[in-house]
Amino acid sequence: MGFEAHKTFDARGMLCPMPILKTAKMIKEIEVGQILEVLADDEGAKEDFPSWCQQTGHEFLGMEEEEGYFKFYIKRTQ
Amino acid sequence: MGKKLFIMMLHGPEDPELATIPFVMATAAQASGIDVKIGFQGRAIVLAKKGCMEHVFAANFPPLKDLVDTYIDTGGEIFLCGPCVKSRNLKEEDFIPNAKIVNAPTFVNEVMNSDQVLVY
Repeated sequence: MGFEAHKTFDARGMLCPMPILKTAKMIKEIEVGQILEVLADDEGAKEDFPSWCQQTGHEFLGMEEEEGYFKFYIKRTQ
Repeated sequence: MGKKLFIMMLHGPEDPELATIPFVMATAAQASGIDVKIGFQGRAIVLAKKGCMEHVFAANFPPLKDLVDTYIDTGGEIFLCGPCVKSRNLKEEDFIPNAKIVNAPTFVNEVMNSDQVLVY
């Protein structure tokens, strides 16, 4: 997909709900319009990040599947 | 005004999983910008005793104490059922500082002022 992320956050190995708690903090560390890349290895994350974006209004750009983990791309909107 | 979630907890340290999950939901809701308040009734009261949460661990979840600390640091409030506190011969000073003793009218008010309620 080739999104250019301004920050990458590695949530692999974290227990629920830590990936989303940390993502909520990390997104505040980039500017509005910039992209956060999150690495996660939990199967549930494929639903979780779009859901979190739906609640917060941040834009879910997409995900990429790697060997044993996923990459999620979220654009800060506010 | 942001959205509000009220969570009523009925389980205590005897069920680590059901004592932990409400705080998983609460902190996840806070991470979505939702204002959360939690009520403890029945056996859940014991959880709020000083030194109790530190010993509650559920498989595949972070330690309860870590979640509660995050919840409080993010502005979460804890309400304790007054009659349930009395039944256990406990007093305000027996509880963690952020827990407030209330009665039914406060719970009713919090529930009615919330957008959604979860009961565990």
